[in-house]
Order: sequence, then structure tokens, then C-alpha cells
Amino acid sequence: MKRIDAVIRPSQLDEVKQRLTGLGVTGLTAFEVRGFGRQKGHTETYRGSEYTVDFLPKIYLSIIVAEDLVEPVVEAILEGARTGVIGDGKIFVTSLDEVIRIRTGERGPGAI
Amino acid sequence: MSYIPGSGARKWFLKAVVALVLTNALSGAVAPAFAEEPKRDPSGVATGGKTAVTDAAGNSFVVTEPTDKTAPDYAQSKKDFDEYQAQATKEPLALKVADSVGHLKIATNFSWTLLTGYLVLFMQAGFALLTCGLVRKKNAGHLMMLNFAAYVFAFLAYYAVGYAFQFGAVAVNAAPANLGGVPTLNHFLIGSGQWGFLGGKGFFLTGPAYDASSNCLTLFEVVFMETAGYIIVGAICERITFWAFLLCELFIGAFLYPVFGCWVWGGGWLSQIGSTLHLGHGYVDFAGSSVVHGVGGFCAMALSVILGPRLGKYGPDGKPRAFPAHNIVFVVTGTFILLFGWMGFNPGSTLGATDLRIAVVAVNTNLSAVAGSAAAMLLWYFMFGKPDITMACNGMLAGLVAITAPCAFVSPTSSVVIGVIAGVLVCLGVLFNERILKIDDPCGAISVHGYCGWFGAVSLGIFADGTYGAGWNGVGALSYLGKAGQGVTGLIHGDASQFWTQLGGATLMVVYAFGLTFTVFSVVNKVRSMRVSKEVELTGLDVPEFGMLAYPEDAVEMLAAGSQAHQGGA
Repeated sequence: MKRIDAVIRPSQLDEVKQRLTGLGVTGLTAFEVRGFGRQKGHTETYRGSEYTVDFLPKIYLSIIVAEDLVEPVVEAILEGARTGVIGDGKIFVTSLDEVIRIRTGERGPGAI
Repeated sequence: MSYIPGSGARKWFLKAVVALVLTNALSGAVAPAFAEEPKRDPSGVATGGKTAVTDAAGNSFVVTEPTDKTAPDYAQSKKDFDEYQAQATKEPLALKVADSVGHLKIATNFSWTLLTGYLVLFMQAGFALLTCGLVRKKNAGHLMMLNFAAYVFAFLAYYAVGYAFQFGAVAVNAAPANLGGVPTLNHFLIGSGQWGFLGGKGFFLTGPAYDASSNCLTLFEVVFMETAGYIIVGAICERITFWAFLLCELFIGAFLYPVFGCWVWGGGWLSQIGSTLHLGHGYVDFAGSSVVHGVGGFCAMALSVILGPRLGKYGPDGKPRAFPAHNIVFVVTGTFILLFGWMGFNPGSTLGATDLRIAVVAVNTNLSAVAGSAAAMLLWYFMFGKPDITMACNGMLAGLVAITAPCAFVSPTSSVVIGVIAGVLVCLGVLFNERILKIDDPCGAISVHGYCGWFGAVSLGIFADGTYGAGWNGVGALSYLGKAGQGVTGLIHGDASQFWTQLGGATLMVVYAFGLTFTVFSVVNKVRSMRVSKEVELTGLDVPEFGMLAYPEDAVEMLAAGSQAHQGGA
């Protein structure tokens, strides 16, 4: 089992979600988050005084999948989230020890 | 914590209430002692009769009996009176119709004055939204409460003494002939005749002030005072304690605003210098660029200087930092409500719908508003690459504030010019305050109301074209500048004295409002700091001062007080 996290643009959420559900991903958790990357935000002017927007709004996705789905899911996120402009985000893949369905107590890949 | 008033404050409050009740009873008992009291008419049935019927130029058809037998024109006046009497005896029905017409005329003016007063009242909501939207989220409740309490407490102060100070000399049963009253200049508390400094009748709206005409004026004038009252919110918010704010409101409603209002609108000395010192038509301010907005703006400036800037507003290098508005939707909606309310503020200041200049006033007011907004929007676009939405709104208000004094006396084109200048002035004023004077004014109140208020009063002295206001303040009723029917005239139309009068009067307003506020509240601030503690300011004033958040769903995020956005980089 793998956990795939992705930081994407809020505007690309729909694109990504459509592709993922098409692949048969059964669950997806999305967080509204703020953060910065290599660009460190940008500067704006408010009533003549400058201020920096350090933390840009992003969507943080968390998806748990069986091993065989990892590559298609990563591909789907890449396709859906890519605009080619700085700030498209990142994908992280990590191994997962255990998944438990709370309602039934079921464990392992079957609980995904 | 020091910002919670203790039991001492509660005792003081009780004493104040008792004193208020006693004074009220006393003033009711004392009032009938004035022998020359004009007859009051609380029910309104005797207000407006044939004497109110005039032609379009304001000439009454009723001829009054001449009393001074030594007057040079006595013979002619007596003849006119006898002729009128003969006609009246011949046509009694005509007199009855005239009585009815006169009553209807006054009723029309009442409706107009009250309805426009209600529009001005609604501006309170606009100001609340505008100022609340312009501050940080953690102070939204604080802002709404200040705006709300301003209305409540300043109103009570104005009812108790403010109205009497301002209009006690002329408006007690009741100033403007438009509302069925008879103007007189003989009830000043300080000064007399044409040199009055403080009105002195109608405290607690008792005695002759308990009158339909007088109360019509009271409603209209109290909402004007409220405008001056809530202007200060924009400059002192996000750091003032609630008790100090209430003191400010009582000060404005009871004293600061009514005194200058008396000088200009209550028959006071500034309005009479046209007659006494031959300075134009005296100091003229149609709807209050200086009387309302200027006074509020410079009072706000003094308070802001005393309070000092918000924590973190200026970095260690002295450079101003931005604390962006938390709700632009409120800001724009509030500004539109203010524009709408201003349609009562300016046209309503004729105190009568039978004065058809109201149409010109309404158009002028709108034109200046859009011109001001356009100028601010484009100037900011040019200077900073993006048109700042909050400055576009400030620009509209700047145009409105500036046109408030001259709106009845200038042409539509002059209104556009005045609006454009105000729109530029407000932008430069905001930058000047923020970067050079280093006065922290979160909503731009000083620039919008103070600077543009001063400019508006001066612009009247430049652009007034003489088409309106013949006989204003008792000057030039028959002819002015050698022309019959010539009204208030400015510099470019040939009356330099009006310009100097406006410049002097408006500048006096600045000195008066700033100086008096600064003196009084420097003392208050010495006795007890008017500012909230550092912790309170960083957390946001909502919970420490009022026990609740404007947006409770943000509780976890905001009370954590660690998030950088809410500390404004402090």
C-alpha cells in the first residue's frame, strides 16, 4: 500500500479529481492549505504600502492506493495538475504500514 | 485587566443618570420663564398657514402691518397693508385656500427633510460596513460595536445639550422658514445678535424645542452630527478602548460638533460676517464639508496622533507596512450605501422640496462622486500599476465630501472639477499621512473627511457661480455685486471676498477641531491610557473588549494568536 500526497493549485482540483475517479480510486481527502515553495510568495501594494503574500493558497490531496495503482495515479495527477507555470505543486509517494476501516475493523488492502 | 471599567465607573454612570433626570425635570420647569418665547406647536396643527405661501422667489403675498411709524417707507408700507386688508376682506375664501396651501407646503418640506434625514441615518450602515471591511478580521466585532455605539451615545449627548448649543439661538420653534419656523438671533448662551458663539435654548428638547418644526430639524441635524461622530472610527480603530471611545462620542455630540455647527448653521458669528464684516455672504457651507466632515476628520487626526500607530504598522526602518482589508465586499457595498445616503445629505440640506435647486444639488453630488472615484482609480493605476479597490472607494467619498459644501452653488462642470481635485487630494493625503506624518489612519478618514472637507469649503469660494443663494445669511437679498438675484459667488465669478472668507473659515475649522480635541484628549490620555494593552491589540479587540468574535468559526485560528496574518507582522 502507498500513500500519495500532492500539493496542487486549487483551480486544478476538478481536473485531478475527474481523472482519479476514472481510474477507480475509491477515496480521496483534500485539505485547503497555504504554503510557499521556491518562489517565496510575491509582493503586492495595499493603499501605497507594500506587503508580501508569503503563503499562497493550495490544495493538499491525500490518496491511499494499492501498489499497482501508484503509477496511473501519479500520471493522472501530473496530467490534471500541470499548467506549465511556476507553482504547479509537487507529488510525494510514501509507503504505508496499515489501513483499518473503522466501521468493520477490517485491515490491509481490503480496507482501502 | 485595565480595559474593563471597574465599579468606580459604574458609580459614575449612576450619578450621571440621576443628574440627567434632574436636569431634564429642571429645564422643563425653567423654560417657561423666557418671556419672549415663540409659541411652540408640538402637535403641528398650527404650523404652516397663509404666511408660508410664497411665489417662487420666496415673496409672501401676506402683507404685515408696519409698526415703526418713523420708518422712511412707512407711508408706502401702510398703503400696501391697507390694500391687502381690503382684498382679504373681499375674498375670505382665498385666505382659507391660502392657509391650506401654506400647510401643504410646509408638509411637503417636512416629508422631504425627514425622508432625506432617514437616508442620512442609513449612511451609518454604510460607514459600519466600509470601516469594518477595511480592518483586520480579528477586529471586525470591535469595528461594528464602535459604529453602533457611536450612534447611540452621540445621539443622547446631542439630545441633552448638543442641539441647544447648535440651534438654541435660531431653531427653537424653529429656524428655517421652509419648515414653518421664524428665524431669530436672540437666544445665545454666549454672545448676542450677530456675534453669537453658543446657542442656549432647547436643552433636552424641552420648552420651545418640543415643537413639530423644531423636531423636524432635530432629526435631520442629529444624523448629521452622527456622521461627524462615526468619521473618527476609521482613524482610531483597532487600538482604542471602548470607554475612551464613548468619551470621544459624548465630546463630539455634546460639544465639538455643535459649537462649530452653531457658528455656521445656528446663526453664529461665522455665518454673519457677511453682514458684520462685509465678507461675501459670510462663511458658507451648504451641507457640511467643513461643519460635519472637516470637524470629524480633524478630530480623528488629533485622536490618532494621541493614540499612536497600531503595533507593527511601522517597521524598525520606519517604513509603513500594509494591513490589508479583510473584506473588500463590505468596503464596496458600504461605499455605495454612503453614496445613496449622500442623496439625502446634500439635496436634503435645502430643508425643503419646494426649493427646486434640489435637482441640481443631486446631480452635482453624483458627478463629484464619480469624478473623485475615477481620479483616484486612475491615479493609483498610474502610480502603482494596479487600481486599489479601497482607494477607488476613498476617491468616491472624497468627491462626495468635497462637493458637500459647494453642491448648491456650483455648476455640474465645476462639480466634476471639484471631484477630480478631491480624488487626487485623497490619494496624496493617504500617502502623506502614512509616509511623512506617520499618522496611522486605517480607513483613510483623515484624508477623506479632513483634507477633502477643508478643500470642499474652500472650493465653494472658488467655483460658486452666483445662480443660487440670493440673500444667503441675510446678505444681498435685493442685489449683490450690483445684480438683482445674484447669489453666493466665488473667486472665478468675481467675488474674491467670498474666497478669503471660505479659506479663513475652513482653516479656522481645522485649528478648532484639531486643537480642541488634542487638548482635551491629551489630558484624558494622561489620566488613563486610552489605548488597549499590547496583548489585547495583538489578539484582536473582539474577545478582550466585547467577549465575542465577529466570526466565531475562526475561533481556533484566531485565538491561537500565532498566525502571522493576524499579527500583521508585529
